[in-house]
Amino acid sequence: MEQELREIVRKLLEEGAIEYFIGYAEGFEPLHTTPCFIERGEQVQALVWSPLCPYNLARYLHQMKNGAGKVGLVVKGCDARAIVELVKGNQIQRERVVVVGIPCQGQVDLAKLEDAFEGVEAVEGKGDTFLVTVGEKVHSVEKERLLREKCFSCRHPISFEYDFVLGEMSPLVYGSESEFAMVEELERLPVEERRAFWRAQFERCIRCYACRDICYACYCQECIFESKAPRWLEKTTTPLDNQTYHLIRAWHMVGRCIDCGECERVCPVGIPLRRLYKKVEKEVEQLFDYRAGMRVEDLPPLVTFAAEEPALSSRQDRSER
Amino acid sequence: MIKKAHLTQWLDRVAQGYDLFGPVLDGVVQFERVNSSDQLVFDYANSVVPPKNLFLPQTECLFAFRREEGSIILEPRGGLERERVLFGIRPCDARSLLLLDEVFNSDLEDTYYQEKRRGTILIGLACPSPPQRTCFCTSLGIDPLSPEGVDVLLTDLGDRYLVEVTTEKGEELVGLSQELFFPSAEGEKLKGEKGKSLEEVGEKIGSLWEDGYWRELSRRCLGCGVCTYLCPTCHCFDLTDVGSTLSGKRFRCWDSCMFADFTRMAGGVNPRPTGKERVRQRYFDKFSYFPEQYGVLGCVGCGRCSQYCPMGIDIRTIINEVIARGAK
Amino acid sequence: MSSNIYLPHLATIIEIEAQTPDTTMLRVTLDDPTLAQSFTYRPGQFAELSIFGVGECPISIASTPTRKGFLEFCVRAVGQVTNALHELDVGSKIGVRGPYGNPFPLSELEGRNLLFIGGGIGLAPLRSLINYVLDNRDHYGEVELIYGARSPQDLAFKDELKLWDEQEGVTVYLTVDRGDERWRGPVGFVPSFLREIAPSPQEKVAFTCGPPIMIKLVMEALEEMGFPPDHMVTTLEMKMKCGVGKCGRCNIGSRYICRDGPVFTLEQLKALPGGLEL
Repeated sequence: MEQELREIVRKLLEEGAIEYFIGYAEGFEPLHTTPCFIERGEQVQALVWSPLCPYNLARYLHQMKNGAGKVGLVVKGCDARAIVELVKGNQIQRERVVVVGIPCQGQVDLAKLEDAFEGVEAVEGKGDTFLVTVGEKVHSVEKERLLREKCFSCRHPISFEYDFVLGEMSPLVYGSESEFAMVEELERLPVEERRAFWRAQFERCIRCYACRDICYACYCQECIFESKAPRWLEKTTTPLDNQTYHLIRAWHMVGRCIDCGECERVCPVGIPLRRLYKKVEKEVEQLFDYRAGMRVEDLPPLVTFAAEEPALSSRQDRSER
Repeated sequence: MIKKAHLTQWLDRVAQGYDLFGPVLDGVVQFERVNSSDQLVFDYANSVVPPKNLFLPQTECLFAFRREEGSIILEPRGGLERERVLFGIRPCDARSLLLLDEVFNSDLEDTYYQEKRRGTILIGLACPSPPQRTCFCTSLGIDPLSPEGVDVLLTDLGDRYLVEVTTEKGEELVGLSQELFFPSAEGEKLKGEKGKSLEEVGEKIGSLWEDGYWRELSRRCLGCGVCTYLCPTCHCFDLTDVGSTLSGKRFRCWDSCMFADFTRMAGGVNPRPTGKERVRQRYFDKFSYFPEQYGVLGCVGCGRCSQYCPMGIDIRTIINEVIARGAK
Repeated sequence: MSSNIYLPHLATIIEIEAQTPDTTMLRVTLDDPTLAQSFTYRPGQFAELSIFGVGECPISIASTPTRKGFLEFCVRAVGQVTNALHELDVGSKIGVRGPYGNPFPLSELEGRNLLFIGGGIGLAPLRSLINYVLDNRDHYGEVELIYGARSPQDLAFKDELKLWDEQEGVTVYLTVDRGDERWRGPVGFVPSFLREIAPSPQEKVAFTCGPPIMIKLVMEALEEMGFPPDHMVTTLEMKMKCGVGKCGRCNIGSRYICRDGPVFTLEQLKALPGGLEL
């Protein structure tokens, strides 16, 4: 698959079809790949692919706003949802992006991998297993043991037209649990306990903004958290400030979060952000029967108005009772 | 020497007379205040957030103000109620405090930092072998078994710790539970391994101001604050008022040279307008500006930036690239 | 006991004088009488002004230490704090920290001719030195001032410009980017005006302050006219917070503008990475 990808990219670059290509390259150690920008045909050997490529490269399409040319990138099925949303949000023009779909067979959770093995040199997906190379030994591990949490609710855009695909783009199907189970578990708690849960999580926040900066959807020219006049939020990290930060961001994700899970992956202090955004996703789905990133034609619920919002009016009835 | 089984006894004794801080599991490993040694974890590589936050807190009130009868009353804050003991600081982080001392004590003394620094006794924990995959202190001339910068250093020797006391304050702490300590047999001190030296990065980087590498690097960089906030030697801060003109507080908060608004002036002009200038600033600061001012590299090789960079950017790769590209 | 470097001194505004549509001069006195007596500074230095509840910003001291009992700050309303400073009345309390930064190299200037080139509010720090020089007239040679602003109404210190020009051995040249119906003087940007006047570099030190692009072009012009880089002095501006070289944001190379500047010679700037990019 790597070889096929390299050939496509080489061709695209040599024909002048794109200015550069965004892909994955080897990182500083076997467990870390890193994004790379390929500008010339001879650089394509740097491109790699493995279950250790978590980055949603669509985030780098923000940089396209200043240019006029075309850009190519490789996406996993889940990442393609970001492209759908960027097109919807008028951040990119679909025709300026050459999208190479790569059939992902699940991504590895580094923490789980490190707990299970030391000195891992490579990981490869094979059917229902990951092949983990440690020294001369190759361990075959059931995927379920090492998968990233988000891969259990793997879901692709239904109608995405890739420019190239390196195989069949079909979602992984794993686990029988509802994808909102972790949200529902919290919802069952009394409100005080829920509040205490999130307070404890947010208290740890160091407001490095990695969760915002890695988010494909955070493309505002001026982020509300950086506005000087009015200043909505100071750099102070009191529990209230941190909570304000996370709740405002959660609201801004309404109808936009594609559950790429990157925010949670990059949080250095381990805040379970996916749970927060999953809650937002669940509400949107229940109220508006809408899921972000599936089809370019779908109108985001917060920019449309229906005189009869069935889900909303039934809520109102409930609250009036 | 102290037996491993006795360590918690000693720490509990310490906690009676001092505010004890040490590694705890709060989502991730952090240095926090504890009441007893049960809250501590002992099997950890290092904290995520470096212990600098005990001396330069991420959010610190410098003073409160209030308007009163036509004038303004200022009430300075800061200071410690009780002397503190920090248990479990690693040698790289201990070195980082020596570097921060240069910043906060040189020229004009920063009393907020200094009071906390003077009021804190450090019990270091020598590093386990093998180190973490991102560790590279030995390449910067730091010994992961060195008591430099701490008052007491413990080195794990299986069922016991070798105890090296380097200061009077350290003696005081050991004196609290003298009965638990026993003399060591000779030659038990381990020797740290030296890594391939990367120190020439400081001589090479100066020639790379115009190099295309900084743009290359900045394309991958998201401009978040992970590397700077988790860096034990990064010390940039912002001053900000919270409240109204009638009453409020002035805070000092961590800030990051990776943020676009770090140098953006009120009129909108920004001398570091793109990621390229900001990334370049960070590495020039570590490897050129800091040594120029204080005579030592501004990096201690703790590896946190590499370990936690959202995009897998690795400082050792950068150093090697600088060494390969740069001229003396 | 060392003092708290972040705690401002309280000061009271005793006079407010509008200079241009967006610039105001504040004259303040320090509330503590002992401090008001002992507070010393030199031309070129700056102070951090606080409006408690809004914040702090660095402003160069526009008065000269030869005139005691007060400090003057020329404030252009561009940001939160400077806008708030414009809202204040006589009698209002502010905070003052400082003086910070390095001063103009006063002792090295003795006996020399001095050329000042200012743009807009950039005249404020130069004004401190000009008045210092005029108050010690015997120690210095000829004084020339080339000063420009966007429009006639943007020229600051208009009364003083006249006073200076009337003095023996002082020449003031004014220009504006755009004139108006009453403006009879030259029209043009400061750097090209400077080339027209073409002052001799003989025994002369040049000082310039203004918008970054003006400083850059003025330096280039001066160099072409034969001014040696160590005789070209500027005072720089960058976002500052602490004022004392600790908060880490206002550096050019290893030099902090707040601590090692704001006054630099072109020679010093040339030695710093990116020193000429500001």
